[in-house]
Amino acid sequence: MPIRNTTEQWGSIAKLLHWVIALAVIVMIGLGWWADRLPYGSLKVDVFWVHKSLGMLILAAMVLRLGWRLVNPAPPLPAGLKTWERWAAHWTHYGLYALLIAMPVSGWVINSAANFPLSVFGWFTVPAITGPNEDVKALAANVHWLLSWVIIATVVLHVGAALKHHIVLKDDVLRRMLPFSKVKS
Amino acid sequence: MKGLVALVVAATWSVPALASDWAIDHSNSRLGFVGTQSGAEFTGEFEQFEAVMRFDPENLEASGFDVTIDVTSFNSRSGDRDSTVAGKDWFWFKKFPAATYKTESIRNTGPNTYEAVGVLTIRNKSQTVPLPFTWVIDGDTATMDGDTTLTRTNFDVGTGEWRSGKTVGLQVDIQVDLKLTR
Repeated sequence: MPIRNTTEQWGSIAKLLHWVIALAVIVMIGLGWWADRLPYGSLKVDVFWVHKSLGMLILAAMVLRLGWRLVNPAPPLPAGLKTWERWAAHWTHYGLYALLIAMPVSGWVINSAANFPLSVFGWFTVPAITGPNEDVKALAANVHWLLSWVIIATVVLHVGAALKHHIVLKDDVLRRMLPFSKVKS
Repeated sequence: MKGLVALVVAATWSVPALASDWAIDHSNSRLGFVGTQSGAEFTGEFEQFEAVMRFDPENLEASGFDVTIDVTSFNSRSGDRDSTVAGKDWFWFKKFPAATYKTESIRNTGPNTYEAVGVLTIRNKSQTVPLPFTWVIDGDTATMDGDTTLTRTNFDVGTGEWRSGKTVGLQVDIQVDLKLTR
């Protein structure tokens, strides 16, 4: 498997980032959901701390991923797709990049506006990006909540489309992103 | 005999009179703290405190501080944290609105540097706490700068599920920065 992307498939770096971030996003949705429902207490603070720490790592990984994508052209979509399908595929992908950056940034704003310090897993401390402000905190919390649903909807679309390519259209779109898989062509 | 009585009376009366009382210039003074939460530091202040500050570098015997801190004035610029510390597990504002620090002795440890030893009482729990500080006099004004570290659980601040120190650190740094006039 090449490290860089080719015209047939994604390279190992792109695959690694895709699947690590995919797994992290699923864990994040679970942690966020759980922490939000916990009664106020040390467990809630601890679960949110893991959520925030992982969120900052996702942000860093997304910045790397965006940079990698910009210097590394993506394998083209298969021929024969309708115009709206190409359009939907592109915008879903742009949307996921934007959402997976906006989501941790909005969480970072909540934490900063709440004037909570943030040490990523106790490894390093991340500075605040806004001053203490209850209104900003409430606004960012609403944005964060809304974005969580937009992400879930977009991921459903993304997974659905990948499965359609694999099962119905029987092309390489899913296979070329799977780790250790051989593309047909 | 009369002379001796007069001497004793004079000695007893004159000692406290030698150390002067200093008034805190609150707008330029700060009683702050640094704690840790989830492995990172946060800072804040007790905005309201009153103190009788008697200090004379030439008469440390008669010097002493008697401080009353309104713990409900805890401000760390975080609505979540500031409301949490009001609760029963933390300062329990309703039951224990004030903390006190009363010095028992002050000794000179170097040029302009001293160490007070006093009793700090929070939530009715008392502990002897040393407070190293500097005190620099310039005419009728003085600057006091002190730092000490407390273990919060010695005063039952952060009990129950918070006691372990896993989420909120046990060590709290106290910072005393005062401007005073006499």
